[in-house]
Amino acid sequence: MEYFAGVSDALRVTFVQMMLLSIIAIGIFIIGMYINLKKWSMGSTGYGQPPSKSIWAFPKMLMYQMSQHAHVHNQSVIETIVLDILFQRRILKRSPLRWFMHFTIFVGWMTLFAMSGAMFFVEMTHMIAERLEFAEVLPWFMDPVIFRQLLSVPNDIFSYILLTGVIIAIFRRLFVAKVRESTIAYDSVLIIGLAVITITGFIADGIRTGRFWGFGIDYQYAPPAALFHVVISLLFCIAYIPFSKYIHIIAIPLALLANKGGE
Amino acid sequence: MGKRQPSITTENFTAVQLMELDSCSRCGECVNWCPTYDASGKNPGLAPRDKILRWREFMNKSYGLRARLFGPKEIPLAELEQFKNDVYGCTTCGMCATVCESAINTVELWESMRANLVKSGIGPYGKQGMFLKLIGEYKNPYMADNKDRTNWFPPDIKIEDEAEILYFGGCTAELRQRKLALATARVLNKLGIKFTMLGEDEICCGSALIRTGQYFINDTAKKNAQKNIENIKAKGAKTVLYACAGCYRASLIDWPRLTGQELPFKVVHVTEFLQDLIKKGEIKWEKSINKKVTYHDPCHLGRHVGVFEPPRAVLESIPGIEFVEMERIKENQRCCGAGGGVKAGIPDLALGVASTRVEDALATNADILSSACPFCKRNLSDGRDAIGAKELEVEDVIVLVAEAMGIDLSDTPAE
Repeated sequence: MEYFAGVSDALRVTFVQMMLLSIIAIGIFIIGMYINLKKWSMGSTGYGQPPSKSIWAFPKMLMYQMSQHAHVHNQSVIETIVLDILFQRRILKRSPLRWFMHFTIFVGWMTLFAMSGAMFFVEMTHMIAERLEFAEVLPWFMDPVIFRQLLSVPNDIFSYILLTGVIIAIFRRLFVAKVRESTIAYDSVLIIGLAVITITGFIADGIRTGRFWGFGIDYQYAPPAALFHVVISLLFCIAYIPFSKYIHIIAIPLALLANKGGE
Repeated sequence: MGKRQPSITTENFTAVQLMELDSCSRCGECVNWCPTYDASGKNPGLAPRDKILRWREFMNKSYGLRARLFGPKEIPLAELEQFKNDVYGCTTCGMCATVCESAINTVELWESMRANLVKSGIGPYGKQGMFLKLIGEYKNPYMADNKDRTNWFPPDIKIEDEAEILYFGGCTAELRQRKLALATARVLNKLGIKFTMLGEDEICCGSALIRTGQYFINDTAKKNAQKNIENIKAKGAKTVLYACAGCYRASLIDWPRLTGQELPFKVVHVTEFLQDLIKKGEIKWEKSINKKVTYHDPCHLGRHVGVFEPPRAVLESIPGIEFVEMERIKENQRCCGAGGGVKAGIPDLALGVASTRVEDALATNADILSSACPFCKRNLSDGRDAIGAKELEVEDVIVLVAEAMGIDLSDTPAE
């Protein structure tokens, strides 16, 4: 049984070690978010009020702002979530190209993340079921091999979508003078991380399946390639979020909710 | 040796505002639209996203992970001084907030940064420091005797002692742009609308103090807002009319926030009031203004609170007016350059922004550049003079309304 997308004992990386790595990544994320929440909560819970000393200041102020009437584009939370956070209409209004780039990255990234989570859940459930000897009562699609096959096509589709967005992002940063000149390390790290995750994902998949984006690399390298992809994804997708521009994944939806998005 | 103290505090920031610093994706849209960045010759320090980036770095140096592990990193005073210069080089027009893909409420973010810098003794900027003394002492920022607010009105003007409608004139119209105040009063009189005014009991709305981050000192802005509200209540007013966009915005948004209470009256801009009367057919035009007119949306009336249509509806209903739009209008309008304390603090920058706006108007071949704010009129007139566009008339909507109603304003006294 191979867990974590092909990582096997052959690489001497055990399931426990992978679990530990995941927990460490999540732990770093939680610590980082705690620091951010403490930093944000150093603000007040109302205009002109003294700074707060409670970590609850941020959620309290967020809820307060969300409940207030806005003089411009006052709208419901549902509208903000659907049109501003998910559909990202504010970006579309400003630049259709930038919207397309961001939307493809967003949709590709989030769907692949969700599918990885689903795959992890199925593998874990199956493993526990096998240990406790009730695997045969699980529904047919809860078999990791079958589930992986089910995800195979959507996995390809959303990988292409993500890749499209990443290529546009890199192109803009390199070849659009105005964007290139204003790029700082804070921006570069985000795109480099994104590109490395996407490229390693394709290569790991190519080696495993023998498709051309495996560059003909021998199958024996499939596990380390997959491992590298998983580790780098855990670092960038989870652990590094609170300490980098990746924080915008969390902060922008919150800002849109607080200020009622709108156009 | 004691542990180093952070160089900045979080005073005057809300918790959501501190979060907003992390929500800037640096897309650069704000830079494309910022009027002061443009007028400054693209000074990178004035770019809104740059200001957010710098304050985020200040926050991380003072309270981030590294600061928590090894102590805060000192931010040189010169760096904070430079930041102050840049954050005050903004008219708080709100264009950056309109185009911000993350919907960051930048206007209030800049105002919080300013208040924070004032509290730490670094702000405000230049002459803006006089606002507090002037408003405290004279109740207006023009160092004028407060009795002069309405005592110059010609004897034909009928102002009730008490009425359901109150006209809040504002410092600029009553003490400097008097034609506007006179036009408003005469239009109301001619329409048979009984109204009252605060006269010498009127106090500056607080906009200048709030926009420049000085509102909290001695609670001046709050106390003034409370006094104005009490005085308005004492006049029995249920609706308060404003012909000044700055006062309108301050009353609608800032007064309830400062006092922590809902206003006991309705806040209405005079163009909203007139639009309603036009719809009811209660305005009779007596004269035709056969000119091409364009309209400049004041930031405080348009982008800040969303009043875009009423001034246009009023202008379009005036006989003879050929109404034309400039390229940048409504929520995408280009600021006149006067707001946010820039006119007082950095007049050259204000003039630069105004000149660009006048050029927008000239591109339409309009005869009149109109607005609905005396402060906009003042700066746009200065911008017009600066580029020598003498053929362009700059006038307030209410003055054009008065003219079309056959009202004579030739007896307006000088300032």
